[in-house]
Amino acid sequence: MSTDPDTPLRRVFRLPAARSRVRDSVDAEFRFHLEGRVDELIAQGLSPREAEREAWRRFGDLDDYRRQACSIDEHIIREQRRMDLFDTLVRESRQALRSLSRNPGFTLIALLTLAIGIGATAAIFTLLDAVVLEPLPYAHADRLVTLTSPVPGVKPDARWNLATGEFFYFRKNSRSFDALGLWIATPVTVMGDGRGQHAERAMTALVSASLFDVLGLHPALGHLFTAADNVPRDPGGVVLAHDYWVRRFGSDPSVVGRSIDIGGAQVTVAGVLSSGAGLPDLHIDLWAPLHMDPAEEAHNQHTYHAIGRLKPGVTAQRAQAELAPLTARLPEALPSAYSASFMKGTGFSTAVTPLRDALVGEPVARALWILFSSVALVLLIAVANVANLFLVRIDAHRREMAVRGALGASRLHLALHSLAESMLLCSLAGLCAVGVAYAMLGAMLRLAPHDLPRLAEIHIGWPSILFTAALSLGAGAVFGLLPLAHSSMDVGALRDGSRGMTPSRHRRAVRSALVTAQVSLALVLLAAAGLMLRSFQRLREVQPGFDPRGVVTMSVALPYNRYDKYESVNAFYEQLAAQLRSLPGVTAVGMTQVLPLDGHDGCSSVFTDTPPTSSSERAACVPEGQVTPGYFEAMGIPVQGHIPDWLENDARTGGVVVSRALAQRFWPGESAIGKGIKGNGGQPPFYHIVGIAGDVRAEGLDRPAVEMVYFPMLPIPGAFLWSPPNQMTIAVRTRGVEPTSLTPAIRARLAEIDPQIPLADVEAMEVLVSRSMARTSFTMLLLGIAGAMALLLSAVGIYGVISYLVGQRHTEIGIRMALGARVSQVSAQIVKESLRMAALGVLVGVFAAVALMRVLGSLLFAVSPTDPVSLGSAAALLLAIALAASYAPARRAARVDPAQALRSD
Amino acid sequence: MPTSEDLDLLRGTLDLLVLRTLSWGPAHGLAVLRWIERVTENRLQIEEGALYPALHRLEEKGWLAADWGFTEQNRKAKFYRLTARGRRQLTAELSKWSRYTHAVGLLLAADGSR
Repeated sequence: MSTDPDTPLRRVFRLPAARSRVRDSVDAEFRFHLEGRVDELIAQGLSPREAEREAWRRFGDLDDYRRQACSIDEHIIREQRRMDLFDTLVRESRQALRSLSRNPGFTLIALLTLAIGIGATAAIFTLLDAVVLEPLPYAHADRLVTLTSPVPGVKPDARWNLATGEFFYFRKNSRSFDALGLWIATPVTVMGDGRGQHAERAMTALVSASLFDVLGLHPALGHLFTAADNVPRDPGGVVLAHDYWVRRFGSDPSVVGRSIDIGGAQVTVAGVLSSGAGLPDLHIDLWAPLHMDPAEEAHNQHTYHAIGRLKPGVTAQRAQAELAPLTARLPEALPSAYSASFMKGTGFSTAVTPLRDALVGEPVARALWILFSSVALVLLIAVANVANLFLVRIDAHRREMAVRGALGASRLHLALHSLAESMLLCSLAGLCAVGVAYAMLGAMLRLAPHDLPRLAEIHIGWPSILFTAALSLGAGAVFGLLPLAHSSMDVGALRDGSRGMTPSRHRRAVRSALVTAQVSLALVLLAAAGLMLRSFQRLREVQPGFDPRGVVTMSVALPYNRYDKYESVNAFYEQLAAQLRSLPGVTAVGMTQVLPLDGHDGCSSVFTDTPPTSSSERAACVPEGQVTPGYFEAMGIPVQGHIPDWLENDARTGGVVVSRALAQRFWPGESAIGKGIKGNGGQPPFYHIVGIAGDVRAEGLDRPAVEMVYFPMLPIPGAFLWSPPNQMTIAVRTRGVEPTSLTPAIRARLAEIDPQIPLADVEAMEVLVSRSMARTSFTMLLLGIAGAMALLLSAVGIYGVISYLVGQRHTEIGIRMALGARVSQVSAQIVKESLRMAALGVLVGVFAAVALMRVLGSLLFAVSPTDPVSLGSAAALLLAIALAASYAPARRAARVDPAQALRSD
Repeated sequence: MPTSEDLDLLRGTLDLLVLRTLSWGPAHGLAVLRWIERVTENRLQIEEGALYPALHRLEEKGWLAADWGFTEQNRKAKFYRLTARGRRQLTAELSKWSRYTHAVGLLLAADGSR
C-alpha cells in the first residue's frame, strides 16, 4: 500500500496516522537511549565519535528492534480501540436500559404498541408469504404450469380441464414442455382386512405416469408407475402416499408387493412415495394409474387436470402462444371429438397458467395483499404514536442534550445515545412481536377458510423472523434518528429553556400532522372493515334456496365390483333411505350427486325436445345430477308441480325436476311441465319435466343461482345416464335433535345394509353454508380487528397530543383564566382543538378511502366501494373518539389554578 | 554475541529481571538496563536494543504500563511502571524460580546413598 503522508485520506483514516505515531514514539524512545549512552561513554573518556559508534554497537540491529517494537505497539493500539468500542456499546446500552426503566410508563406503552403492531404485521406477512410469495414445494416449481380450456361461449368465466385425446395431441406436437401429466381425484373404499382394520374412504389420484416426472416425485420404497400402467389392459398397481402408509400400514415396508382390496378389486402395492410428496393442495392417500389409451378414439370429455413442466427458458405466455394454433387445428387432428362449430360456439382455447397462480387465484392473493396493507397501515399508526412519545421525551431532554452538545459531545455521539435507547426498545418489541405473531397466526389459522390454498404450508419460519427483525430495527433507526431531524441540539435551547417551555409552532405542527395522518389512515381501515361487514350482512341475508337448519350431510361411495348396475345401486339407496327415515328425529332423507356449496362446479350440455332458437342457449352448460325422491324435502327446496316418488322412480317413469331459472330460460313465458329434456344428444327418448324446483345458489351465496336438472336414479329405456351413481351425498333432515348427533345411529344402519361401506364427510349443512362465507367473514374479521386497532391507537394518539398541549400551555391557560376566561370556554377550546385535528384527518381519509376502496373489488358483495353508510359511520366513529379522547385533558385544563400556574414557571 | 540457546534462556530471565527492576518504581529503558548491568556485574551479555521489544511485549500483556515523562535532566523519556497484574505475575514467577532453584539445589546436594 503506497501511502503519501500528506494525502487528506491519511488524515481521515486513523490507522496509517496511528502507525506513524507509533513509529515516532519508538524512534524517540531509541534516540533517548542512544543519546544517554553516548553521554555516559563521553563521560568515561571516549571521543564523541567513538562514543557514538560504541553506543550503536551495543544497541545491536536498530531496524530489527524498531520493527518488533512497532508491530507490538500497533497491536496494542488495535486492541485498545476494540475495547473502547465495546466499552461504548456496553455503556450506552446500560445507560439506555437505565433510562428506559426510569420511565416505565413510556417504555411499557411504546413496547406494547410496537410489539402488537409489528407482531400483527408479521403474522399477516407469514400468511402472505406462505400462500402467495413462496414457491410451491416442488423441484423446478417456477416452471410448473396448468393447462385449461377457457370456454367463454359456455359461461363467461368457465374453464374446462383437458381431455385425454387432447393431452396426447399436445404431448406429441408441442415443443414447450419437458413433461406433461394428467390427474383426477376420486374417493375409493379401502376394504377392511378382516383383522381389525375397518373399511375406510381414501382419496385416490388417478394419474398419468408422467405426472411423477412433472412434479419430481420419487418413491421411498418400491417403484412408481410406468407409461405401460396407464394402458387399460394392464391392471397396474397402486402407490401409497407416505402418511397413508404410516397411518394405515404402520410403516410396514413389506406392504410393497402385497395386494390390498380397493373397492372389491385386489390391487398390488407397487411402492410408497417419499415423505411430503403429493399433489398441490389436495390431500391424496393413494395413487393409481389413470387408464387412457392413445389408440382409443378421442372423446370431448374435459375432466382431467393437466400439469406441465415448461422447458427451461420457456414462459407460460410463450407456451400458450405455441398451443394456440395447435388448439385451432383440433377439429382436423381429432375429428371424433371436436368440430369447427363446437370450437366456435364455445370459444374453445387453451390457457397456460403458472401452477402457483392457478392454485392461489387472484381473489385470494388480492385479499391477502389487502390484509397485509391494512396491518401495515396499523403499524404506521402505531409507529406514529411511538414517534410522538419519543418527540415528547426529546423535548424533555432538550436542555440535557444541549448541555452535552455544548460540552463537546459530537452530534454523532448524541445520536448514538438516542439510537442505543430506541434500538434496545425496538429489539425488545421485536422479540415480543414474534410471540404476538405466533399467537395471532394460531388464532387466524383456526378461523381461516378451509379452502385457503396452501394452508398446510403456513408456519413462522426464517422469512417471518427476518421480516420482524427488519421492521424492529427499521423502527429503532427511525426513532433513534428523530433527534437529528428535530433540531433540538442547538445551544439556543439553553437560552429559551429557562422560560416557560411553550413548544415552538413547528414542533406542535409536526405532532398535529402525525395525529391527522393517523386519523386518516384509521378512517381508510374502518371504511374497509365497514364495507366488509356490510358485505357479510348482505351475504347472510341471501336466501340460498334451501333450508340448512337441522340438516346433516354425509357421503358414501359404493364399491364398483358389487354395485356395477343401476338396479343394485338404486336398491341400496332405496333401502338406506327407508332405514334412515325410520330413525327417531329424522323427518326426511334424500341423496344427491351434486350437493349445493360443496365446491362442485361441473356442468354439461342439456338437450330439449323443443330446441331453443339461439345457439348460445343450446351450448349453455348446466349442472346436472341424479337425486333420490326424498331429496327436495330433505334439503327444504320448494318444488312446484310433482316430485317423483320411489314407486315412480323404480318404474322408470322418467320424471325430471328442473330449476326455475332453467325453465324460464328454455321456455320463457310458458310452463316447462311436460317438456322433454335429456343430457346426452338431441335424439329421443327424452325425460319429461314434472316439477320446477326453487333456484339454489349452489356455487356460493355470492354467485347467481345455478340452472339445474335433477335426474331420477334409473335411466329410462333407451336413454343414457352416464354410469350408475355410486358416489352420493346423503342429506338427512332432523327435528328436535342435534343433527350430527345422529351420526352413530346412521352409521349403524348403514353397516346393517353393507358393513363394507364407510361413511365419510359428515357435516351439518349449516357448517357448509357458513364455510361458503368463510372468505368474506375471514377478511371482514381481520379487517375489523385492524380497524379496531387503528381506532384505539388513534384515540391514544389524540389523547396523548391533546394532554401534552394542555400540559405545555398550563401557563397560557392560567393567564387566560386570570384575565377572566370562563372554565367552559377553556374546555371548549381544548375540545375544539382535538376535533379540528380529527376533522382534518377524516377529510383526508374520506378522499383516500374513495380512491382506494376499489381494490376491494370482488371481495365486496352487493355493496358499492363508496358506500356512504360505511364511510359515514367510520367518520362519525373517529370524530366521537376524538371528542372522547379530549374529555380528560379538557377537564384537566378546566381545573388549572391561575395563581399556581402563573407562579410555577 | 550470545548464542541462540543463550537467547532462549535469556528471554524468560530478561522478562523477570525487567519486572523485578520496575518493582522498585517507574523507570525508563536505559535505567532498567543500567540496573541489570549492575546486578549481573555485566555478565548478562545482551544487545541493548533487545530490551525494547521485551518491554513493549510486557506492556502488551498488561504487566507494564508506559507514560511519557521527563528525567531529572529534563529530557523527555518513556517511563515504564509495573501494573497490579504485573506485580502478581512477578510474585508468581519469583516463587516458581525459588521452587526450581530449591529443587535443583536438593538434586545437586544428593550424595547417591539411599
